[in-house]
Amino acid sequence: MPDTVTTVPAGWALAAAAILGLLATFAAVLDGVFTARAAGAGPSGLTRPFGELARLMRQRRRTTVAADTLLWRIGSSGLLFMALMIVTVVPLGEWTLFDLDVGVIWFNAMDVLAWAFVWLTGWGANSVHSLVGGYRFLAHGLAYELPLMFALVAPAVAASSLNVGTVASAQADLWFVVWMPVAFLVYCTGVVAIAVWGPFTPALGSDIAGGVTAELSGADRLVFQGGRYALLAAGAAFAVPMFLGGGAGPVLPGWAWVLVKTVALLAVFVWLRRRLPAFRPDLFMEVGWLVLLPAVLVQDLLVAVVAAWRA
Amino acid sequence: MITHISFWALAVVAVLAGAAVFYVNSMARASYALAVSFIAVGVQVLLLQQNYVGVVTILMMVMEMAVMAVYMVMFMGMNPALMPMSMVHGKRHALAAAVGSFVLLAAGAVLIPWPARRDAPPADLTKALGEELMGPKMLVMAVVGAVMAATIVAGVVLAAHRTRYDRFGDDLRHRPAKDPQPGGVGR
Amino acid sequence: MGLSDALAKYAVDQAHVLLVELPGHWLTRVAAEQHIRERGWLPVSTPANADVLAVCGTSGPEMTAVVARLWDQMPGPRARVEIDAPHLAAAFDRAEAELLDVGGQQDDSRSRAAVPDGEPHRDEHREVHHGGHHRGGHGGDGKGGDTDQVGRAQHAGMDHHEQGGQGGNDDHGGMDHSGMGHGGHGAREDQDGMERHEHDRQGGMSHGAMGHGGMGHGAMGHGGMGHGGMDHGAMGHGGMDMAPAGIPLAQGGEDRDGLEMDVLHLRMGPVLPHWPAGLVLRSSLQGDLIVDAEVTLVDARLPCDQGDVSYPDVHHRAARRCDNAAGLLALAGWDDAASRARRLRDRLLTDRDARKAAEGLARLHRRIKRAWLLRWSLRGVGLLTEADLARLGLPGHLRGDTCDRLLCMIERATADIAGPDGGSSGASDPVSIVKVCDLVRGLDIATARLVVASLDLDPLPAASEVAHA
Repeated sequence: MPDTVTTVPAGWALAAAAILGLLATFAAVLDGVFTARAAGAGPSGLTRPFGELARLMRQRRRTTVAADTLLWRIGSSGLLFMALMIVTVVPLGEWTLFDLDVGVIWFNAMDVLAWAFVWLTGWGANSVHSLVGGYRFLAHGLAYELPLMFALVAPAVAASSLNVGTVASAQADLWFVVWMPVAFLVYCTGVVAIAVWGPFTPALGSDIAGGVTAELSGADRLVFQGGRYALLAAGAAFAVPMFLGGGAGPVLPGWAWVLVKTVALLAVFVWLRRRLPAFRPDLFMEVGWLVLLPAVLVQDLLVAVVAAWRA
Repeated sequence: MITHISFWALAVVAVLAGAAVFYVNSMARASYALAVSFIAVGVQVLLLQQNYVGVVTILMMVMEMAVMAVYMVMFMGMNPALMPMSMVHGKRHALAAAVGSFVLLAAGAVLIPWPARRDAPPADLTKALGEELMGPKMLVMAVVGAVMAATIVAGVVLAAHRTRYDRFGDDLRHRPAKDPQPGGVGR
Repeated sequence: MGLSDALAKYAVDQAHVLLVELPGHWLTRVAAEQHIRERGWLPVSTPANADVLAVCGTSGPEMTAVVARLWDQMPGPRARVEIDAPHLAAAFDRAEAELLDVGGQQDDSRSRAAVPDGEPHRDEHREVHHGGHHRGGHGGDGKGGDTDQVGRAQHAGMDHHEQGGQGGNDDHGGMDHSGMGHGGHGAREDQDGMERHEHDRQGGMSHGAMGHGGMGHGAMGHGGMGHGGMDHGAMGHGGMDMAPAGIPLAQGGEDRDGLEMDVLHLRMGPVLPHWPAGLVLRSSLQGDLIVDAEVTLVDARLPCDQGDVSYPDVHHRAARRCDNAAGLLALAGWDDAASRARRLRDRLLTDRDARKAAEGLARLHRRIKRAWLLRWSLRGVGLLTEADLARLGLPGHLRGDTCDRLLCMIERATADIAGPDGGSSGASDPVSIVKVCDLVRGLDIATARLVVASLDLDPLPAASEVAHA
């Protein structure tokens, strides 16, 4: 794996978006298959995302009484925007779109946008259930956000850099996931949470008729749900340079390894959704502050000591 | 060239979004107009090649505005939040204060004889800026950070109206704790 | 048109269905669930995401209004069917054809108003269907009030809307608006005057049942919020609509921490996924905490509609237990186990192999017992001790927390199919729905939903007593 990354011309952003789209589609197909298999009847679920696409494209857009339509629409399309912004700093092997020297902070700046967008989606519709969903997301956010931020500190400290490419190449000997597993797990928790996925779905819970999504239909629902899959994919892709050695691996070229690792992690995220019950926000709040945050701080301390000792 | 154009475009966006804060009639819109304004400023700082400062500005301001909007909606009662309401109070004084401070700052910017650059800019602008600002006071700042965090925690502990005696009984032996909303760790 | 037809065909291949279960028709609902799954369709929890509205059973007048409202909330293309157990497939075929009929759908969409109607408060039956998210929605911002007397109350409010802020005087009890003067007369003096105004509290009256007299007359009910710090005097609310889109303001009330907080009235049910059919819980919320609740049954005054026979035999009893367990697991967010319980239920209803069913139940029981995350999430939720059971007159199998009750459901199902006389669910008295409001008071919506689902209710009769909390 080369130490330097090449910045490709901006036109390649379309290719990056296409790859993100493919990854998101993969996640949706996989989820469809798992769901169909658990249901035990009906079609295989392989085509479910495409049918859903057709269905939502055909469905009318809906409005509610006294909705703040502008903020509502911004919120529902925001997740997709976040995912696209995140992948700009993820190097695909030796190429990157945006070789930002503070790429790790960039990811962080993008992930806090979820606070704004998910809440706005819940708030804008002017409906009880979607607002309750929005606040449930914030309650989760209070618990996952700080641990996520500190989890991102560990690889940056170990690599002495905030540049994503440099963090990836600092793992030539040993992947960071091996000696900072706590940070990795907390990072994964955070990614699943910003995608409102798996155990973090109370914000979209069926007990509140779909929560944040309760009033979304047609194109709005499509971009919101698509954005969730895209965020999951972008989070998995960002984990590769941060924890999983970037493009390092035998035989295959760097870009292929990045994709393979991303797909593998993404598949795990999708699979977990059906396996885990929801984390109720009131319970998870205490876990976030009393378990995850101290654990990840201790992890940071250990990493800092090792980094200082090495230097 | 492109950099110049985008810088000025962002400047216009920042000012217009800032003005929108007072023009719109909902708290959420005002908060997020302010967030847009700050994001535009953050991107401007990025264009000045202060990458860290720029990205951190975006990070902090988005988070802050998200929290502000939520708290405003929560604590103002939810009514006025969706109720159309004016975002300006005390118009006359505010106008005077705003115009006054603008004139003062603008005069400063225009009239002060700024020094010319003497040699090439340093390689790491952010680091140079940080050292110039903090320099010898870095230790003080580091200590102040910790003290502030401790103050916040102490303040919350003192302000909380429930104590451990409420939770565990007078002999502190009552288990599980009597909480109105039990947490997930089972303390 | 080739492309759009192909798209339509593809879209309709996985239409989403909102199932409305009427009291006494749970077997129809279960059969419908089975059928739509085989078709590759999906059940959904909100009309916003539904293409087909399927009503299981025949609705009374109250329920008809609810269904009409749900129908109005569906975005379209949409189709609506009333189903009955033997004619399921034909009904859904009809729905499919209706969805594919592009011309018909276009006509339908043209005939509808582009914007939802904003006068939800006119009509007395403005139930918050679907658990309260509704187009007429006052929404979540707490400003809404879902009141039966709204029409009258609003007018009353208008009548004593006087310049000078007297509008804040509210004789509907229990509502403490230290309202602020605004509207056309938002001057400082008004506000001060109003803040000193002592309100006539009629203690003990449920906010839930109150008309929000104050709402129409422009007193913002966020009392206790420290207006002092804010310069409302100069805040010109002038000319602004006090109740945009006809949505009245919420009133405040003391929450459990002794703080003043807006009270929102939310009606949960009768159409809500994993919720006892026909049950309506009118709750007063602060945040998402239920401070007060009142239980009714939809169309309760009608003569009992037998519907399908609830329990033709023991397998149906066991299937009901599995259905309840599936609902609880789905609410707890564990999709895999919920699907498993649902499959078990379907198997109990179709093939009557008691041994195989018992094996499946035992496996599910083991799996739930081993799931520590589920136990962590349900631990202590709605804990009922022996004394609580005696006080509330609840049957013994509800002892413990929600997790215990979940396991007990599976055990009861096992006992049901074990032998002709071993049926445990037949032995116990039915849970009176009156108790639901006692159980959910003080809980947030999520835990309240879990607790209600854990009660392992038998299908509710269409006629039953109406409870006041």
